[in-house]
Amino acid sequence: MMHMAQLAAPSATDAPTLTTLPAETLALRDTVRAWANERLAPHVRRLDEDDAAAFDWDLVREGHNLGLTRLVVPKQFGGLGQGEFGVAVALEELAAIDAGFALIFGATMLGQAPVLLSGDPRLQARFLPLFCGDEPVLACNAITEDQAGCDLLIPENAQFAQGVMRARREGDHYVLDGSKKFITNGKVATYATVFANMEGHPGATGLTCFVVMLDRPGVTLGDVADKMSYRSCLGTEMHFDHVIVPEENVVGGEGGGVYINVQQMNMARAAVAAISTGVARGALEQAIEWAGKRVQGGMPLRKHQFTARKLAEMSAKVDAARMLYLRAAHLADNEIPAPAYEPAVAKLFADRIAIEVATEAMGLMGARGYLRDHGMEKRLRDALGARIYEGTPEVLALAVTEAIYDDDDDF
Amino acid sequence: MGVFTSKQQATSVFTTLFGILLDDERFASTVRKENLSVQFFHSDPDLTVYVSADGVWIDETPSAPVISIKMSCDNADALWSGRLLMPIALATRKIRIKGSVAKVIEFVPLLQPAFDRYPSIAAQAGVGAGA
Ligand SMILES: Cc1cc2nc3c(=O)[nH]c(=O)nc-3n(C[C@H](O)[C@H](O)[C@H](O)COP(=O)(O)OP(=O)(O)OC[C@H]3O[C@@H](n4cnc5c(N)ncnc54)[C@H](O)[C@@H]3O)c2cc1C
Repeated sequence: MMHMAQLAAPSATDAPTLTTLPAETLALRDTVRAWANERLAPHVRRLDEDDAAAFDWDLVREGHNLGLTRLVVPKQFGGLGQGEFGVAVALEELAAIDAGFALIFGATMLGQAPVLLSGDPRLQARFLPLFCGDEPVLACNAITEDQAGCDLLIPENAQFAQGVMRARREGDHYVLDGSKKFITNGKVATYATVFANMEGHPGATGLTCFVVMLDRPGVTLGDVADKMSYRSCLGTEMHFDHVIVPEENVVGGEGGGVYINVQQMNMARAAVAAISTGVARGALEQAIEWAGKRVQGGMPLRKHQFTARKLAEMSAKVDAARMLYLRAAHLADNEIPAPAYEPAVAKLFADRIAIEVATEAMGLMGARGYLRDHGMEKRLRDALGARIYEGTPEVLALAVTEAIYDDDDDF
Repeated sequence: MGVFTSKQQATSVFTTLFGILLDDERFASTVRKENLSVQFFHSDPDLTVYVSADGVWIDETPSAPVISIKMSCDNADALWSGRLLMPIALATRKIRIKGSVAKVIEFVPLLQPAFDRYPSIAAQAGVGAGA
């Protein structure tokens, strides 16, 4: 049974809170907040209503200039050298305005993560400087497939995964065949980290991660998914037909994909929890503003006790979600392998409260909450998105209970 | 029995291994410049190995290490020999690391000379002969 000490919050000295963020993180938060409010916010409705395949490279370029495409790239390659902590804080700011834009940069980091986690200096020197030039470069992380969804996110179920993309070694290279689905940035990325199963291994038990440049012969991109929200980022099918990948592009060795996948998932869950927290915060702030000025029954809504109770509950939920993701991100920056419990708990909670807070906030705005004009209904649609990627509630529950019953010692 | 027949044998192998690393200019200068220290917590046989720019300590902790690494001596042997890949070892929790991930990412590539030299050091010390 997991020791209770692991369930308790770390001591005050090693668990920074939003009031004690390191100066560097505070500066990053304020920069991203200012950009999101001043530059991104005016475009949110257009980004939401545009054609599914529309993509705003100009805004992405502005984000790139802020460093959002190279947050986790080590300083030696020209990046900002941030850990999950800084990433999560930045993504909350973006998601408070538009979750889709947060995911453009988040998915790029997911494409960078395997290269970072490989610990392979040659791979790092080849791929990470790409993100540090004058023009924005995006990456993507391709796991999900038509038949294999959650089975690729639950390590114990890897053996049951069906129809997984195949990899075959031929001399000094590998040949990839198969398709991926719903891949964020697939349409606009320069490379993908692609997870394929080595031939001869059942299910996904031989999962191996490859860096695949997307201009390779045999790579074709399908239509962009017509999503309910998150429309500013593009989710795409990707087809790999006899794509030849040099052996130097294997990340973490043959069969190492299971580790890379689990490790990056545990790191990313803190960041996705931050996205959900941001969506909830955006809805809360809008509700606070509305309830402060909308008068019914002779006084502002906020003075009505029922409304006050709702606002207080919403506020407590957002604060709690933030504390959970900060704890998870902090631990993910200080343990290898990253812990499974704290990030899963943070995401499980934040995904749920984002939906609850956005629903309440919409209700507080009455009919206006239901209209596109005010943007609240879009926040609710955003809130429903993060519940799917990087672990559904069911997948997270399995990760949480696996950790609770884990009999690991207390190292 | 594991691949190391005694604690003495493990101590001798790891002291030599990290001594070689400290002779490596890139390792030594980076460790000094970044004020890095790492402590390995080995089991079967049980011993700790503390490495900083100032030397190698067995079963002593001169100051709190920046990076702590836990693994059995058998897994250490497999890792340094190249039979156990770091990503797989981490996935299966055969190796666990505590400390700033950014520092670890910086530190791991510096270990290359240890990977290069370990097989001959281990063979010379008769590691695995009793297994
Ligand atoms: C906005 C968005 C962005 C995305 N970006 C990416 C990306 O960049 N890269 C990528 O690879 N994928 C991406 N995805 C895909 C996403 O990761 C998958 O959709 C997700 O893993 C679920 O897979 P699935 O849709 O096939 O659902 P399924 O696996 O078919 O699951 C359907 C339902 O069954 C439940 N279920 C499944 N297995 C179990 C089980 N063992 N126990 C209990 N319940 C179970 C699930 O919780 C879910 O409710 C994205 C999705 C969205 C919505």
